[in-house]
Amino acid sequence: MTSIPRSRRQFLKLLGAGAGAAAAARLDGPPVSAQATGPVKIGVLTIRAGVAAPVGAAGLRGTEWWAERTNKAGGILGRQIQLVVEEESNPKDTVERYRKLILQDQVEAVLGGISTGVTLALGPVAEDLGTPWLSWDGTTQKGVEETMPNPKWAFKSVDNEVEAIVAGILTPKYFKGIKTVAGIGNDYSYGHDCWESYQAVLKRYIPDVKFVLELFPKLGVTDFTSHIAAIQQSKADLLMCSFWSGDATIIMKQAAAVGLFKTMKGVFTTAGGVHDSLKKEFTPEGLLLGYNTMYFDDPKASPLLKQFVREYKAKYNEYPPYECDHAFFNAESYKVAVEKAAGSSKKWPEKAQVVKALEGLEIESLSGKRSWREDHVQMCNFYQGITTHKNAYDFVTINPIETISTKQAMKPAGTKLFDWIAGWKV
Amino acid sequence: MQRIFNLACGSFYALGAYAGVSAVGWYVGAGGPPALFIVPLVLAGLAVGAVGFVVERGLLRFVYDRDETFQLLMTFAIVLVMEDAIRMTWGTAPRSTAGLYLAYGQIRVLGATAPVYNLIVILASLAIALAIGWLLTRTAFGRIIRATADNRDMAEALGIDMRRVYAKVFTLGTMLGTLGGALVIPATAAMSEMGIELIVEAFAVVVIGGLGSMRGAFVGALAVGILRAIAISVYPELEMLLIYLIVIAVLVVRPRGLFGAAEA
Repeated sequence: MTSIPRSRRQFLKLLGAGAGAAAAARLDGPPVSAQATGPVKIGVLTIRAGVAAPVGAAGLRGTEWWAERTNKAGGILGRQIQLVVEEESNPKDTVERYRKLILQDQVEAVLGGISTGVTLALGPVAEDLGTPWLSWDGTTQKGVEETMPNPKWAFKSVDNEVEAIVAGILTPKYFKGIKTVAGIGNDYSYGHDCWESYQAVLKRYIPDVKFVLELFPKLGVTDFTSHIAAIQQSKADLLMCSFWSGDATIIMKQAAAVGLFKTMKGVFTTAGGVHDSLKKEFTPEGLLLGYNTMYFDDPKASPLLKQFVREYKAKYNEYPPYECDHAFFNAESYKVAVEKAAGSSKKWPEKAQVVKALEGLEIESLSGKRSWREDHVQMCNFYQGITTHKNAYDFVTINPIETISTKQAMKPAGTKLFDWIAGWKV
Repeated sequence: MQRIFNLACGSFYALGAYAGVSAVGWYVGAGGPPALFIVPLVLAGLAVGAVGFVVERGLLRFVYDRDETFQLLMTFAIVLVMEDAIRMTWGTAPRSTAGLYLAYGQIRVLGATAPVYNLIVILASLAIALAIGWLLTRTAFGRIIRATADNRDMAEALGIDMRRVYAKVFTLGTMLGTLGGALVIPATAAMSEMGIELIVEAFAVVVIGGLGSMRGAFVGALAVGILRAIAISVYPELEMLLIYLIVIAVLVVRPRGLFGAAEA
C-alpha cells in the first residue's frame, strides 16, 4: 500500500533535483519505512572502463564474494541480498545513476565509489537522498582537506594521501642517508596530493632533504622513457612514485631497462594495487612498496583472508588487490549495522537507524579489524614493505611487512593536514 | 591519399598491441625460446592488420565522397567500437609481456644504458620507413598511389581500379599501425584506451609534418618525440604544452605543415 506515496515522493524528489528550499524541506522528513520482506536490494557503483577498471573489478568481486557468502549464511535478517550494479564514470552521469539506484531501484544502501572526482559530487547527493552510501575508495576531500566534516548519510574512504604519509614515515627507516628525492605521480589531484604529503612528512624526519625533481605525466601515458632519463639526470638518491595502475608496471619495466634502481632507491606508495604484474624479471628487491589496506600474502592473515585469497585465485587466476577489502568492509559493516540496529526485535530498521549503528562500528574485514570513525571515515591498517624475490610467485612480494594504522597516519577529524604533520613529535 | 582523416589509426595500434601480447603469451606458454619472441609478435601485428580491409570495404568506402564531418564521425565510431571490442576480448586490466623486454639485454652507449630491444625497434622503424619510401617511389604500385593522391579523377580515368587501390592502401596502412602497436608492447603494457592517447599525438605529428606527406610524418614524429623528451628534462611542466604551442605556431605560420603540399 505504500507504493503510491513512495512514487509520488520520488517524483517530487526528481523534480527537486535542482533543489528549491521547499523541496529540501520535504526531504528532511523521516525516511519512508523500508519494505521489510523479500530480497534486500543493495546498489553497487563500480568503474568498468578506463585505467581504473581493474580497481572497479576488484571492488565488485569483493562485494560479490561477500554477497554470496552472506546469502549462503541466510542473508541479512533473513533477507537475501540482491546487488544492483551501476557504472561509475564521470561525476554527472554517476550522480544520475546514483539517483536511479535509490529512486527507481529502491536500494537500501549504495556501496562503491572509487574516484574522488566522482565521490566529491556524490557526497551532497547522498545527503540529499537520505540513503546510506558507503564509499570504497573515494573521499569527499578537495585536495587534502575535507569538504563534508559532518555527514549524516555519506560514509567515506580513508583520506587519499594516507599511503604517501605511511611511505614518508617508513622511508627514513629503510633508506638511511637520503639527501635528494625525485618524485613522479599522475597529473591529477591524487598524484599531487601524495607528493606534497610525502614531502611534508619526509621533511619532518630529514629536515635537510632536497626535492630535486617532480614529474606529473598525465594518467594513461604508456611511455616513460624520457621521464626516466630526467630522473636519472637528477641524480636523486631516491625516487618516490605514486602510480597505482598499469603505469606502475610500465615505469618499473622501463626503469629496469636502464638500470635505474641500481643507483637509486625507490618508493612505490601504491603500486601494490597491481602487485601481480610486478614481475621479478624487472622489479628489483629493496624497493618500498605499498599495498594500501590489504596484503594478500600476509603470513599473519586471518582465516577469512586466507579463504578469500584461495577462492579469488581459483575463480579469477589472480591474487586479490586492496580494493576487495575496502568493498568487503563496506558491505559487511552495512550488514552488521543493520543487525545491530534491529537488535532483538529482528525487524528491518529504518535507514537512519542503520547509519547511527554504523558510526564507530568496528568489524572483522578481510585485512583484520576495520572501523568507521565517528565522522564517517574508514579506519584501518596500511601495509607496506620492502620488495623481495624470495617467494613462490613470479612477481615480487614484501618482507619485512610494516603495518601502520590510520590512527597514526591519517589526520584526525577536524584538523588541517599540513598543520597536523607540522605538529608531529618526531 | 584517400583524403580521409582517420581517427581509428589509434585503435589499430591498440589492436596490434593486444594481439602482440596474446601471441607472445601463447608462444611462451607453448615453450618457445624467449629470444625469438619477436617473431610471433611481428606476425600477430601484421595478421590483425587484415581488419583494415574489413573496415575499408565494410565502412569507409561509403563515406569517401561525403563531407569530412561524416568521415570524422565514422572513424570516431570505429574508435569507440574497437575500444569496447578490445575490452570484451581482453578484459579491462592492462596486459603486458612480463620481462621479455629485457630478453635481448642492455648495451651502454655514451655512458647511458639502453635496452637492446629499443634499438631493434628503432632499426625496424627505419627499415619500414625505407621500405615505404621504396614502395612509393620505385614501384608501379607506388606510382599509382602517388598519382591517385595527386588527382584521383585523372587516375581513375586512366583505368586504375580505385576500389582495389583504396583497399590495398588502407590495409597496408592499418598493418603499419597494428605492427607499430605490437612492436611497442614489450616495452610497455596494453591498455584499452591507448588508442585514444595515440590519436592526440598523431594529430600533432601530422599537423607539424604536413597532411598527406610521408616525409612530413617522419620528421613530425621525430620532432614531437625529441621535443617532448627535451621538455621533460629541462622544464617538465612544458611537456604537453610545448607540442601544442608548436602545433599552433605551425597552423598560424605554415598551415600546410613542414612538408605538406600547397593548396591547389
